[in-house]
Order: sequence, then C-alpha cells, then structure tokens
Amino acid sequence: MNGNTEIKLDKSEVLRYMGHKGRNASPSIESVVEECMEEIVKISRYRYVYKIFDVKIGFYKGESCIELEGANVRLTGNDIYEHLRGCKKCALMAATLGIEVDSAIRVAQSSDMLKALALDACAADMIEKVCDIAESEIRLKAEAENCGINFRFSPGYGDLPMSAQKSVLGALDAGRKIGLTLTDTSLMIPGKSVTAIVGFTREYKRPKPKSGCEICSMRDRCKLRKAGTTCGRN
Amino acid sequence: MDVIDRIKRGRLFFDGAMGTMLQSAGLEAGGLPEVYNIEHPDIVLDIHKKYVEAGADVITTNTFQANALKLKGCGYSPGELISAGVRLAKESGAEYTALDIGPLGQLMAPMGTLSFDEAYELFKEQLIAGEKAGADLVLFETMSDLLEVKAAVLAARENTKLPVFVTMTFQEDGRTFVGCDPVSAAVTLSGLRVDALGVNCSLGPKQLMPVIDKLIKYSRVPVMVQPNAGLPSIRNGETTYDITPDEFAGFMTEIAEKGAAVLGGCCGTTPEFIKKTKAAARNIPFIKPKREPVTAVCSGTETVIFDCGVTIIGERINPTGKKKLKERLRAKDFGYLVGEALSQKEAGADVLDVNCGLPEIDEAAALTRAAREIQAAVNLPLQLDSSDSAAIESAVRAYNGKPIINSVNGKAESMDAIFPIAAKYGAVVVGLCLDENGIPETAEGRLKIAKRIISRAAEFGIPKEDIIIDCLVLTASAQQELVIETIKAIRMVKELGVKTVLGVSNVSFGLPARPVLNSVFLAAGFGAGLDSAIVNPMSPEIMRTFRAFKVLNNQDRDAADYIANYAGYTSENPAAAAAAAPHGGSGSGDLKSVIIDGRRELARELTIGLLKENDPITIINEYFIPALDVVGDRYEKGEVFLPQLIQSAEAVKSGFNVLKENSSSEGAGKGKIILATVRGDIHDIGKNIVKMLLENYGYEVLDLGKDVPAEEIVGAALENDIKLVGLSALMTTTVKSMKDTITALKAAGCRAKVVVGGAVLNEEYADFVGADYYGKDAGMTVKIANEVFGHLN
Repeated sequence: MNGNTEIKLDKSEVLRYMGHKGRNASPSIESVVEECMEEIVKISRYRYVYKIFDVKIGFYKGESCIELEGANVRLTGNDIYEHLRGCKKCALMAATLGIEVDSAIRVAQSSDMLKALALDACAADMIEKVCDIAESEIRLKAEAENCGINFRFSPGYGDLPMSAQKSVLGALDAGRKIGLTLTDTSLMIPGKSVTAIVGFTREYKRPKPKSGCEICSMRDRCKLRKAGTTCGRN
Repeated sequence: MDVIDRIKRGRLFFDGAMGTMLQSAGLEAGGLPEVYNIEHPDIVLDIHKKYVEAGADVITTNTFQANALKLKGCGYSPGELISAGVRLAKESGAEYTALDIGPLGQLMAPMGTLSFDEAYELFKEQLIAGEKAGADLVLFETMSDLLEVKAAVLAARENTKLPVFVTMTFQEDGRTFVGCDPVSAAVTLSGLRVDALGVNCSLGPKQLMPVIDKLIKYSRVPVMVQPNAGLPSIRNGETTYDITPDEFAGFMTEIAEKGAAVLGGCCGTTPEFIKKTKAAARNIPFIKPKREPVTAVCSGTETVIFDCGVTIIGERINPTGKKKLKERLRAKDFGYLVGEALSQKEAGADVLDVNCGLPEIDEAAALTRAAREIQAAVNLPLQLDSSDSAAIESAVRAYNGKPIINSVNGKAESMDAIFPIAAKYGAVVVGLCLDENGIPETAEGRLKIAKRIISRAAEFGIPKEDIIIDCLVLTASAQQELVIETIKAIRMVKELGVKTVLGVSNVSFGLPARPVLNSVFLAAGFGAGLDSAIVNPMSPEIMRTFRAFKVLNNQDRDAADYIANYAGYTSENPAAAAAAAPHGGSGSGDLKSVIIDGRRELARELTIGLLKENDPITIINEYFIPALDVVGDRYEKGEVFLPQLIQSAEAVKSGFNVLKENSSSEGAGKGKIILATVRGDIHDIGKNIVKMLLENYGYEVLDLGKDVPAEEIVGAALENDIKLVGLSALMTTTVKSMKDTITALKAAGCRAKVVVGGAVLNEEYADFVGADYYGKDAGMTVKIANEVFGHLN
C-alpha cells in the first residue's frame, strides 16, 4: 500500500490547477513549477488502500440507500445510486500523499506564495496520479471477474454527503493502513487525500465516463466550467 | 508482583491480534470492535482465553478505539465499553490486564485540529475508567504522533497510577505516518519515563529489525515488540499474512536476543503465533542490553545527538537588544519568529534557542505559542529559554519531542524550580556555572558549580547525559585575563562526563570586527572539547569556523557539507563583492513595469534606489498601487492569471520589505484588517493570498491563522477596534462556522464589517451567513477594503 511506482507529473495540468489558462506561462513561472514538481515527487510518501465489496440496496430513514456487504457503510442520495446502478460489486479506495506535503505547502506560504501555489497544484496533480495507480489495480481485479469499472466517485460529489467519509475511511481502516484521518468537520488530513467509490460494471470494456460536471454540486458556480474546461474529475 | 517489578526480572509475553480474531468471528469492516464487549462478550472472552492458554502473561483489553471521538453515535460511552472490556480480560485468567488505547483518530494541531488539551481530556476519560475497572497497566499502541503520545502519557501519569507501555507504528521507510523516527521516539519516551516503549503493527518482524535495533540502542527503558504476522496480502478477498507461526517465533527469538524485554503480536498473530513465540523465546537468557549514555534532543521528527560532533544552536530568537523582534512579539506576530527560525535553519543551525522574555507580555503564553508555531514549520529541536520557570514548564509541556531547557544555575532556588520540570517531561538542561556569588573568576570555581549542578540533578533522577554545562564567557574588553579561564573550565568540566555549551558573542563586546573574535574564540572552544555553541548562524565567519571544524573533526564525512557550502569560495570579501555589483537602476521610474512583470529581486533594488529621494508613502501610492491596479485589471479581464498576479504581489512584497527595513512604521497606515480561516477549516492558501494583496495595498493584516474559534476572532476584533473582518472557508461543512462567527461578532456588539470568501462561497452563501460582502477573489477583497476604509478605488 506504500507507493513505490515513480510518478511523473504533468506540467500543463499543474499550470491549469494554478489557474493558468492558455498555452505558455512565462519562463520564470515555468521554472518555479518545474522545481516544485520535483520537490513534491521527492517529499511525498504516497499510500493507498482499497477493498472490494458486494453492493446491496438497503433502507435508511424511509429511503433506499446503498449498503456494502460486510461493511458498516451506508451511502445515501440519488447520485451514488445512479453511479452503482447495475453494479454487483464496487471498490472503496483511499489515497494520500502524506503529511509532509501539507507541511511543505505551509512552510512555503510564509516565504514565497507563488511557490506555495505551485506546490499545492503539483500535489493536486500527484494525488490524481496516485488514484490512477489504485484505479488500475482495481480494474485488474474487476477484469478478473469479467467486469469493467466506471469512474471514481467521491463523497461530496453530487448529493453524496461529505459525512460519508467517516464510514468509507472506517471500512478501509484507513487511519491504521495509510494514516488518513478526518476532522470533526469531515476534512481529510493529510490534506492531499482522496476517497472514492468505483463500481464494477458488466461491460468488460471501460464505459465512456459521464462528464463529471453533470453530477457535480459545484456545477452552477464553477469557474473552470464557465471557461469551457473542467477540473479533470470525471 | 506488579508488572514493573516483573519486567525487571524476566521477559514478558503479550497476546496477539484482537481485530483479526473478531473479524473472523463476524465483525464487519468499519464496525466498532469495542461494542462486542457488551453485545457479544462471550466472543471476546473466548479470544482472551485462547491467548491465556497460548501462554500470554498479559491480555490486552478490546478497547483500542474506545474514546469519545470514535464512539460518537454508537450508543455507548467510553466508560461502559472500557469497564466491560477490562472485566472480560480479567475474567480470562490473565496474569495482567493491559488497558488498550489506540490513537484518537484525529490529528493534533498544527497538522490537524485537535488541541493538546482536548487530546489529554479524551485519554484521561479512558484511563480513569480503565484503572477503576481494575486494569494493571495501560498500553498506548499503534501511535504515530509523539505529541499525541505525550498527551496520553501525561494524562496517565497525572490521573492514574497505571504503569505506562507505549508502542508506535513505523512504515517501511522507518518513519511513522507523521514522520516520527524510532530514535526520536526512544529519546522522547525515555525522557517521559514510560515503563516500556517499542513498536507494533504495520510490518512483520523481519522488516522491523532496523527499527528494533534503533529502539534498543536509544531506549533507557525496556523495549517492547509486537509485529504483524508478516506482510499482508489479499487472497480470495481475505487479508492473510505471509509468515507461519514457526517463522514468526524464529524472528522473535532473534529479537529477544537483541534485548527486547516484552514480546507479543499484532495483526494476524493468532494464539498459535504467541504459543510458538513463547516456547521458543522463553529460554533466551534475559539480559538487559548495554546502553551507551548519549545526549540527545529532538523535535517530533528529528534528533540531534551531541555525541556525534559539534552542534550549532541558533541564538536569533531572543528579543534582548533586538528592536524589531520586541515589536513583533508585542504584536503577537509569530509568523516573524517562524521566519527567523526558517532562515537560521537554512543557514545551518542544528538547534534553535527560543526566548520570548519581555516584561510587558505574558511570557508563558508567548513562549508556548512561539514553540508551537515554530515546530509547525521547522523540524529542528528547540532550546526553550527563559528565566521564568512557569514559562519553561508551559512551553516544555506543549513541546513535541525532547527539548533543551535554558537554563538552570548553581543557586539552590534555580535548581529546585527547574529540575522537577526537566525530570517530569524529560528535557535536557543547560547548567550555567554561576551562583549567588556571580561567575567565579577561575576555572576551578566554575567546575565546582558544575559538580554541584550535576549532583543535585541526580537527586531528581536526571542523568549526567541530560546536563549540558555552560562555562560562561567574560568580555575580552573588560576582563581580558579571564577569557582563557573559560577554555580551561571546558576541559575540566568535560572530565565530569557531561556535554558543554557556550554563548560566544559576549567575548567581543566593545571591540571592532566582532565576528573575527567570536569565531576564533569558538575555534578555541571546540579545540578544548566544547560540544555546542549558542551563536548567530547568519554570521558567515561563525559558520565558516563551524563547518571547517566539522571537517577537521572528521564529523563532516568527505567534507561534503563544507564543499557544498564553499565550492565557489574566493578570498575576496563577499560583502564588498555584493556591494560592488551593479544595482540595475537607482531611482529609475521603471519600478511599475518591474512589478507588473513580477521580478521581485529587481523590484527590491529599485525600491532601495527610489527610497533615497522619496518617502515610503509616495513609493506605495505612485508605484506599488498603480502597478498592482494594472495587474489586477488584467487579471479581471482574463489577460493574466493567478500565478502572474501572485508574482507581482511578491514583487511588491519585496519592495515593501525594503520600506519596512528603513522605517519604523508598519504599512502605510491605511487600516487594520483581521483575516482568519474559520473553526473546523484548515485550508488557508487562499486566505494568505488575500493577505499578501491587502498588505501590498498598505493595509495592516492581523492574521489569526486557520481553524480559528469564533471567540478568538471576536476578542481580537474588539481589542483592536477592527473595522473589517475577512473570513475564509473552503468546505460546505465549515460554512456554518462562518455563520456562527458572524453571529458571535454581532452578539458581542462588534460593528466591524465582514467580508467572506473561499471556494464554496457565492453571493447566496454570503447572504446566508450574514456577511456584509462577498469577496470573490483577492482583487475584489481589496476593493471592498478600500470602500470600507473610504479610500478611492
């Protein structure tokens, strides 16, 4: 679960996370970004964990909800229901870059805000790439059962509440396995962490993912969307 | 026989995995195992009994996460589940019952939001319940954060008589999830005088060997080892571990031979593992490992060992004679102290001295806060420096790791005040060779005081290796003939088997070219065996001497550090070389375009030039602000983006620093604004960007940080008669804290306007929380501030 694969960050992605649009940034900004890409890869201690469960339909407060066999997890709302519709199984996953990244971003803020912004953006790109690694392992498990997978759906997307984090992390024993914790307000610490639910689909081939925007609770006020792009979550 | 006597006489065997056993008995993933103590007591009891039959001397209660945070909403209190758990363990026929306590599940500040006091109270509740139910000892296990362990150990010591065992969990890279290494763990926990310390979980016994070696080398108390049954793998959907009970027992025998006194198992170790382990290891002779006494201090993640060579202690965070630092301390600007800490670390300091002694401030609160804020940014060990024992105790208690206390002296009252603190929290203490009669003139006189300090410390149980003697320096311009006595005293004191420290700067007082005298004296000290020096690491002469000595001393292997620092060295005076460098343009009117281009070094130089003929206000109004307006305008139009905006803001900031260095006034006096990320939220990069831009425009920002409770914001707003409060929140879950804060501000009669911002906010939310303004970005917030303070946009 401790990551060993060397991860390569994508400079154009990092720039996009920083709020840069268009093709080229100035050489001075590019060089800060390159430096930060190297630093984030060096200091992060990325880890991930996932577990596969049978999906079943349960009831909670008079409404139907998703339950996972053998786990103390209840997922409410229409969007997760749609996400897992027709899936007999799903994977819960959690990934983190570790606390060292939080600390580096915090320290940079006291001396160089551009560097802090760049580190933050590199970390955002890196955690997505770590999730890709976990997802590719999950896909192999699904294929072994003649299934495909859909996409990563996280608490806080659509109408799946953030409060679902607690049970997702609990079912994965994520505190003990990868050092991922939650505050009272359902914020994950280390900050650069992701949890997600990936459904096993019957089609062996990966289905074309629905645009993340369609199910995103930020869709009406998202600046990226207005500018005709996306945050990359799909 | 109580368990503490027992581990002095022979090896002690703990049980194995409770979680693994419960899962095979039907516990669902993410379910609370502790609930079984009441709902399925027979299952828990049966597991305990199996381990007793397997030969475990100590049974660990099924109470790992029975704390109020984790149990929220489960229908049971910690007290209920713990007393049921202890009862079951005792009923199993175990010789000893260990109250099991795991991490609280939330990270402590500054990484997370849980405070030291909250953590302490949560542990206290569990400990009192466990002792009342009859536990024989407490085992804090699977811990990651030394500060959390410290809160736990203090809660145990201050509220119960339970012997304390602690195990921490290290990953493959030899560090815990929050970066703690085994040496720092052993050094800190030995200092806190736990009864046993060690490692559990995460890896198998084979992978844990390097960690175990370090723990045994640096621990002053018995070492405990509870590995997993090898490394996990998933087979047919079930987690299995990769070694057999026999292999496990083989490794555990090896670990017993290394000197581990307490053995047991963690995940995957069924009763069979414990049985085989006990059978194999019980006949290994029980010999306490031989330990070299070392003087070591640490932060939560890094240890400095004085026995490994000379150590530089940075002296810059001390207000004595520093006008700027005094002013920043009075303004509670701890960010400034953090900046000083970072630059000393960069310059090569190994340890940092922190002194907040100013007559008009609450020194205990200031020193504690300073230590906490510095530890959040810098991983160097700290030397907590005060003449007030209450300030020392408060800061030492909150400190993560093993600190140095600066200082105690030969006076009885000083030793009686400081040694109990050093003993309780396990700190290293600097002992000054002076007493009621002042500093003895002769080396012999100072030696006598050093001996007195060492023997009095021993009465408090403080070993010699936790004492560092300062032989004290006299000024060459006043008492020239006595300077060499210090060097003599160092030689003599070293014979006592303690480490030494010296603050060298005093020697040159009143003479020219002070760095020359200081560094020569430092070299003489090192030559006499001096172990550490309290100096200014920003002084090139001092650092050259230090780095040169490290080469000659065979401490800087292959002169790697020396070469890295001085590869491009020329004998020319570097200051003169810098002064001769072309300045680009003195007073050139180009500052505006330089800011727009975001060139911060050039902005600095041009500001220096302009300042010769202009006052700061003119520079702010005619260069900084017009340039920022241009960039802000382009940003709004989508012609430039956030990175460029920040680059320009950084350029203005470097210009502003020039103005601050050259004038006593802070900012341009446009007005004072509070900024804070609200309670429960820890995202602050956006808030800090807003802060920088507001400061660029001449506002003074009182930054209260992140996760700030409403009361603190209200208090600061009233105390400073604030006109504008900026609140930030990133998550929908913390928007409520924003509303609570605004409600509290109004209830307290505060008439400040409130501007809110953050990723999830919009006009609608801003109305909902009761804010006066919605600042959609940093530029907008500046416009709002201008409106509130009546400045033209």
